[in-house]
Amino acid sequence: MFRRSFNRFCAGEEKRVGTRTVFVGNHPVSETEAYIAQRFCDNRIVSSKYTLWNFLPKNLFEQFRRIANFYFLIIFLVQVTVDTPTSPVTSGLPLFFVITVTAIKQGYEDWLRHRADNEVNKSTVYIIENAKRVRKESEKIKVGDVVEVQADETFPCDLILLSSCTSDGTCYVTTASLDGESNCKTHYAVRDTIALCTAESIDTLRAAIECEQPQPDLYKFVGRINIYSNSLEAVARSLGPENLLLKGATLKNTKKIYGVAVYTGMETKMALNYQGKSQKRSAVEKSINAFLIVYLFILLAKAAVCTTLKYVWQSTPYNDEPWYNQKTQKERETLKVLKMFTDFLSFMVLFNFIIPVSMYVTVEMQKFLGSFFISWDKDFYDEEINEGALVNTSDLNEELGQVDYIFTDKTGTLTENSMEFIECCIDGHKYKGVAPETDGLSQTDGPLTYFDKADKNREELFLRALCLCHTVEVKTSDAVDGPPESAELTYMSSSPDEIALVKGAKKYGFTFVGIRNGHMRVENQRKEIEVLQDQAAETIEALHAAGLKVWVLTGDKMETAKSTCYACRLFQTSTELLELTTKTIEESERKEDRLHELLIEYRKKLLHDFPKSTRSLKKAWTEHQEYGLIIDGSTLSLILNSSQDSSSNNYKSIFLQICMKCTAVLCCRMAPLQKAQIVRMVKNLKGSPITLSIGDGANDVSMILESHVGIGIKGKEGRQAARNSDYAVPKFKHLKKLLLAHGHLYYVRIAHLVQYFFYKNLCFILPQFLYQFFCGFSQQPLYDAAYLTMYNICFTSLPILAYSLLEQHINIDTLASDPRLYMKISDNAMLQLGPFLYWTFLAAFEGTVFFFGTYFLFQTSSLEENAKVYGNWTFGTIVFTVLVFTVTLKLALDTRFWTWINHFVIWGSLAFYVFFSFFWGGIIWPFLKQQRMYFVFAQMLSSVSTWLAIVLLIFISLFPEILLIVLKNVRRRSARRNLSCKRASDSLSARPSVRPLLLRTFSDESNIL
Amino acid sequence: MSQKYNPITWRTKMKKTSQICQSKLPDNTALKQQQLPAYRLQLSATGVLSGFFATGAFCLGVGIILILSAKSIKEIEIKYTKICANCAELREDAINFDKECTCSIPFYLSETMQGNVYLYYKLYGFYQNLYRYILSRSNSQLVGTDLKVRLYLIWYNTPFFKDQSHNGTPIAPCGAIANSIFNDTIILSYNLNSSIHMEVPMLRSGITWWTDKYVKFRNPSAINLSSAFTGTAKPPYWSKPVYELDLEDTENNGFLNDDFIVWMRTAAFPTFKKLYRRLNRVQYFIEGLPAGNYSFNITYNFPVTRFKGEKSVVLSTLTWSGGSSLFLGLAYTVTGSSLPGRNYRLSNNC
Repeated sequence: MFRRSFNRFCAGEEKRVGTRTVFVGNHPVSETEAYIAQRFCDNRIVSSKYTLWNFLPKNLFEQFRRIANFYFLIIFLVQVTVDTPTSPVTSGLPLFFVITVTAIKQGYEDWLRHRADNEVNKSTVYIIENAKRVRKESEKIKVGDVVEVQADETFPCDLILLSSCTSDGTCYVTTASLDGESNCKTHYAVRDTIALCTAESIDTLRAAIECEQPQPDLYKFVGRINIYSNSLEAVARSLGPENLLLKGATLKNTKKIYGVAVYTGMETKMALNYQGKSQKRSAVEKSINAFLIVYLFILLAKAAVCTTLKYVWQSTPYNDEPWYNQKTQKERETLKVLKMFTDFLSFMVLFNFIIPVSMYVTVEMQKFLGSFFISWDKDFYDEEINEGALVNTSDLNEELGQVDYIFTDKTGTLTENSMEFIECCIDGHKYKGVAPETDGLSQTDGPLTYFDKADKNREELFLRALCLCHTVEVKTSDAVDGPPESAELTYMSSSPDEIALVKGAKKYGFTFVGIRNGHMRVENQRKEIEVLQDQAAETIEALHAAGLKVWVLTGDKMETAKSTCYACRLFQTSTELLELTTKTIEESERKEDRLHELLIEYRKKLLHDFPKSTRSLKKAWTEHQEYGLIIDGSTLSLILNSSQDSSSNNYKSIFLQICMKCTAVLCCRMAPLQKAQIVRMVKNLKGSPITLSIGDGANDVSMILESHVGIGIKGKEGRQAARNSDYAVPKFKHLKKLLLAHGHLYYVRIAHLVQYFFYKNLCFILPQFLYQFFCGFSQQPLYDAAYLTMYNICFTSLPILAYSLLEQHINIDTLASDPRLYMKISDNAMLQLGPFLYWTFLAAFEGTVFFFGTYFLFQTSSLEENAKVYGNWTFGTIVFTVLVFTVTLKLALDTRFWTWINHFVIWGSLAFYVFFSFFWGGIIWPFLKQQRMYFVFAQMLSSVSTWLAIVLLIFISLFPEILLIVLKNVRRRSARRNLSCKRASDSLSARPSVRPLLLRTFSDESNIL
Repeated sequence: MSQKYNPITWRTKMKKTSQICQSKLPDNTALKQQQLPAYRLQLSATGVLSGFFATGAFCLGVGIILILSAKSIKEIEIKYTKICANCAELREDAINFDKECTCSIPFYLSETMQGNVYLYYKLYGFYQNLYRYILSRSNSQLVGTDLKVRLYLIWYNTPFFKDQSHNGTPIAPCGAIANSIFNDTIILSYNLNSSIHMEVPMLRSGITWWTDKYVKFRNPSAINLSSAFTGTAKPPYWSKPVYELDLEDTENNGFLNDDFIVWMRTAAFPTFKKLYRRLNRVQYFIEGLPAGNYSFNITYNFPVTRFKGEKSVVLSTLTWSGGSSLFLGLAYTVTGSSLPGRNYRLSNNC
């Protein structure tokens, strides 16, 4: 939402015509031209949302935009204004609590953002002013200022490079934090300003830069610099992206540079590219909202029914105003329509508990507390980096149990981010396992080496090629041109395989020292082995077995990526591979035609092979031929971005059809943005599957942010991914337990929590609704106000919270070891219509039992042996007691994992209820207008009949549930027994006897058809 | 921590965080590893069956006992709205409030009512549970502390709180509940033979909750009751002020009047019984009510036909479980007998 609006804003920015003129050093270029200071924004970065002044109104406004909060606010206001049976405190207090807690949390987060902003804005920079180096705060930089940046510093704003300390006016820059490319890039200064490499000389420069208005594309920049030397004639030079140093990039291997600020603050390309971490919402949250709407509808229906019936009932005068209950003058005078409206609102308020405000509190607490279990898990601890898992958001815990697609990076995620030169093949001769570093490759010991060797020249040529054909940069601790002390050489490259090769060459005497001008190109074979991460293959296998589709998205070459996929068993040897790569497509002259052909062909193949039902797809995998798809970046862009006519759209849909049918997809040669594009594409598939991205590098950040759940690997490629992820784990293998055990449990817990909350509140409110039929629809509440308020807060909240934190319906180890269990909860299974209806009907049944059970109980003259008579408050209290016990015991029946905490909270809650009821009824409370509950509870318990009735009603209410549990248990056991019986009989009886039967039924069916 | 909230990743200064060799290995505690010792419910077939059987047997037993004891109860109900039709007609119009109307209802008790016998009145179609009706009372007045109902400013405009005809004098006891008190007098007489009619001795005490009588309802303190209530008016529908409810027994007068207290406990449903008197087991009635001819002599004051309701008198004995309703007994019996049935089905499945 935010991003979209932001994009729109950017688009508008792009369309803005005109250029900006920047005067270098803010000096007027000539005396004749009047210098007009242009107004540009300052260099302040603002990522915070609030200030001290607007925090309260803005935050409140944003909070009440949430449908639930707004609803509760309305209810509260109705309670305050209209004369209603329930006190405003009942809903006001929880609402106040929720709003306050959220405001504090958001305020704290914004304070942290302010601090981070300040850290950046107040950081020290050096500006050349009047030929002097002036120290300033970063936020004070104006457009046109000449800024000095030293090695390993980040650029404080977008700069045009004027000069550097090197004679050729170049500098090296790494943009890892912007686009994830960690290699050094060379940027150039304009020829005419190269020489100005001191503060004094740079100050003499009179120049004006004309460039386009700010735009978010990192790789586009068009501008012109007009340099006014002594003569009036200006020298114009064009400026391109190679002259522009972006804010956020870091200066490397260059002592210092001078640059002139062209874009500052929020107008820098980086700020324009900033996508706020958009709020990710889980599928469960969407279900909650759906339930909310259903219950809102039920609520409105109830209120409408009651209002209508009330006026039907009151149509007879003796019901409207019986002699014993006269109306006030005011009541007689108010308009009937207005009265009906307020009656409707009053009924809404009376039944408003059906949508529990406390559920939101409990869900928040459950998520917040529950997420600790991930960071506490010692299985996620990695000794190498001495860290465990990191949880950045607690909103998505349950989403981990709902994943359909996994997008994984290859390097650093599936494989270790370290590569070694192990073997090579020169001119057809294989060299392997070279241990001693003597004279090149001239060793023969070791069982795997071959006896014949290639020509010595060939070997040398090979090694020279290894040494030279790459993009590796050298970093030394000393000056760049210093003596090449081999021990201090550090190689840097965007791909680790290059480093591995250079290091390999170095091992055999060919040391890469650095880059001078000119390159040498020699082709030869090379081979390196990638070290797979620990248990990567097992993890992928388990994920496959759990019904997840794994896609590998990598920037690597196809061959490397493919071999990795085989190594980690993403592709089995039996998997048939479908290739959509430049290689397969370039055979033809017109790429589009060939692509189209291939797409159609593959689709035919897949559709033919698979049954139509997509539901059974997951299970079908095991039985059918498996397909894998390989696609590369350029083909993907061809599919996605080819000519804008309808056919491209068609390509996309065919491509998606193919993808959905494939077990595994490998996308190689992907640019970071393409990764995100793929994720977005899959996200928007029919049925909107849940996607998970996992990666370790800065180039994975885009897909991590795009997918439903983003997982960062705390790898070697910096912390970008981990920082932007929702969860970060040290290794890929941890994904298995994270999804299969944690995800599964979180999902089951929260799904149960949600269902249970709606259930218990329907049970709670239904008797109150039914009571309206017996009290002339007068909005008389069934329960005392204290019970109404405390029900959700005190009596029934803690057991479900404990359950939702501790429940393990299946043992954690079993969950982690049996991936098929994950399929049981796929597609949000526990919050679908079926379970929802089950819970709703259960609640309706129980509510009816509570009410009518007690109703029939009350038909007798007296429940006590001494003939004393009970009133309406005793009636409500009996219903309420049965309710609290039933609802709590229902949870006890659902609990499969009884820790002492569960025992404590469940029995504690019931004890607290009893204790509270005695206490509440035991004192004449001075602040209460009515002592309606005085001794009601104690008097109620003095009757044997009441005891018997309460026990019976609880039992009847729980009976269907008990029966279900027992039946399930028995069926499981008998199924197990049947299975063993079958096995026994299978081994005994001859198989052929089964087959003809099957054949017969088959033929019968075909006859019918 | 702050890194998390720094979405623009300009901070590329690598923090040397893990320099301090502090182990971040999570604590190996049972709670944190989700390995708390826990009990998993394992249902064995025999356990379930025996549990069901025991529950079933228990329910069946309780059910039968309840049914038997309910059966032993004797109960007589006589609706007298139609029998006293002329009185009912008279009460139809509020103007006739001061005209007395009595009505005698003879009946024959074929069996002796053993033990304690209780006399109830029962109303049909009287909604004591209307929202505004239930609210219409002042508890602080009824405990005698706020007799003039000063705390109830918001209620001043509602009926029955201030006497409209007497310059708004506060009413005691105020509110709709008190105003609409059941004011029929029911006297049971035993016709030993055609000539001797004796009034059956009835107790008017001990029919309220103890806490109501001794805590929740208190008379304002004064030398005598009538002076305590000066400055207040009687409820409009009452024929006499509250301090004249029972002139013979000071413990039953004013707010402490048992009938008044009973009425003030609002009933849950529009059809309800309220305890009126209990048999004083003396003389002829030491065993209970002997079989024979009786008659109810009713002073008919309470209008019910105006809201299409009815009135009746109920004589009933009680047992340990209370009144004569079969519901609880039947419910237990049905539940109990349905359990072994399921038992059987289950064991078949196994």
